[in-house]
Amino acid sequence: MPYVFILPNMAIFGTFIIYPALRGFWISFQESSDGRNFKYVGTANFKAILTDPTIASVARNTATYVISYVIISTVLALTLSIIVNQQTFLKGMYRAILFLPVMLSPVVVGLIWNQVLDRKVGPLNQLLQALGGGSPGWLVEPKLGMIAVIFVGVWVHIGFYSIILLAGLQGIDKSVLEAAAMDGATRWQSTRLIILPLLKPTTLIIVILSTIHGFQSFDFIYTLTGGGPLGATTLIVQYIYDRAFQTPIQYGLGSAAGVILFLIIFAFTALNFLVGRKKEAV
Amino acid sequence: MKIAQRKPSASTWTSISGKKAPTTANIMRTVLLTVISLIIIAPVVWFVLSSFKDLTELSARPPQILPKVWATSNYTQAFKTYNYMRYFMNSVIVTSVATALTLLINSMAAYAFAKYNFRGRDGFFVLTLAMIMIPLQVILIPIYLVVSSMGLVNTYWGMIIPAAATPTGVFIIRQYMLSIPDELIESARIDGAGEFRIFARIVLPLARPALAVVAIFSILWRWNDFIWPLLIAQDEKLYTLPVALALLNGQLFVPENIVLAMSVMSIIPVLFMFVFMQRQIIQGIAQTGLK
Repeated sequence: MPYVFILPNMAIFGTFIIYPALRGFWISFQESSDGRNFKYVGTANFKAILTDPTIASVARNTATYVISYVIISTVLALTLSIIVNQQTFLKGMYRAILFLPVMLSPVVVGLIWNQVLDRKVGPLNQLLQALGGGSPGWLVEPKLGMIAVIFVGVWVHIGFYSIILLAGLQGIDKSVLEAAAMDGATRWQSTRLIILPLLKPTTLIIVILSTIHGFQSFDFIYTLTGGGPLGATTLIVQYIYDRAFQTPIQYGLGSAAGVILFLIIFAFTALNFLVGRKKEAV
Repeated sequence: MKIAQRKPSASTWTSISGKKAPTTANIMRTVLLTVISLIIIAPVVWFVLSSFKDLTELSARPPQILPKVWATSNYTQAFKTYNYMRYFMNSVIVTSVATALTLLINSMAAYAFAKYNFRGRDGFFVLTLAMIMIPLQVILIPIYLVVSSMGLVNTYWGMIIPAAATPTGVFIIRQYMLSIPDELIESARIDGAGEFRIFARIVLPLARPALAVVAIFSILWRWNDFIWPLLIAQDEKLYTLPVALALLNGQLFVPENIVLAMSVMSIIPVLFMFVFMQRQIIQGIAQTGLK
């Protein structure tokens, strides 16, 4: 009887996750441009990934994005959650606002910032000009494009990470903080010496989660920059997608990139499990 | 300023929850949070206002905050001239059928994992959780080849079924079902109730809070989902809202003002849900760390 209950779920996992994963692993040692005829090429795809200059730029973009995204998200989420936690006046409202972008469709988020960051008619450059600045081509110049993508990435997800940290903060025993205050600790001292150390396991989870999310980023970038300007914001997931739907179609190369992405995400997810378990044990 | 000049109370932790006069720190914090809130809200407000501008105003320099003439025709045209209703209905169909299916099969699996002893139970459960480690992005190409060889590309079922079994859904419901007393199920069995009847009549109603959380997340995921329907819906008639918005954006036959109006309409249902379900959503995320 229990097998009947788990059957539909397991059948879907088998058909649409496990089997494709195994098949993807196998395809990564092959090449095909039509999905029907496959040619075994050994480790050529992986070698190409290590040597190809286009892929090298995708790797560089992904690394730049993920590292900046993780550091900024973690520091900002930590700061915001501590501030919101201390807030009493309209606390619920600020929390809700912080969380708002998480609810928006990433596709729409890309469209929103497309408007705001427009070089000529965007309100941001209008504001900058009013303040005596220039009008930078946020979505036109490669370096600025990356900055814009990182900023929007943080903008979308910061509420998500802050909420998890807020839950961690609420788990901190208030009497410890009260005792510290009675002993004459300033708020900054309490934050630095009590809250931050106690929040360490949750912070670590944020680092891991944001790393995983960073590597998976695709949808808002698709509508914000489309991977441009000049490929400057093409990250690994878009690269994989393009190998299946943009010429030149290279299923093998894309699958190999998928295998590499899997190894990275697998490592961080496993780490997340370990840290999560340790945190529960404490 | 008046407030700031009052005698500041000692900056202790207890003073935060007490209703004393605001301290400088309190004011600074409120100002900071207000600025951050503006950074979050202003782009969204700008976007909504822009959706009421016609094409000339959208390319006007310098841009104006408020539309000179409120072009509500952007919205009516999205329905009349363009296929907004179609995309909206596609999103509704995919979201609702997928959520119903997810609730059904996830709760069935969760029930087996929570209340039965069977060979391989722990193995299957670990396998279920391990599915989190293989995100869609990793298997984009092989899963596309699999789905297309099954003839599911360009079908609703192709958009609905493959992502219906969620490991996190099984996990949330199973954890909750563990708290349902075994005696309840046992006594129903003694009374002669069949296994499916027990599941449908006793277990499911008791697991309602967990089902609600999974339903909320499923709706959110499916409504905003982009990459999966992008792979499957290649025919414009099957586009869900995110796919339609992304692919119509920048195309000559659909003007920008229409895309903006469609975008604004597409986020309304989710915003409604957020307003009414805020607590469940935030708690769910805080507890499970999933998005």
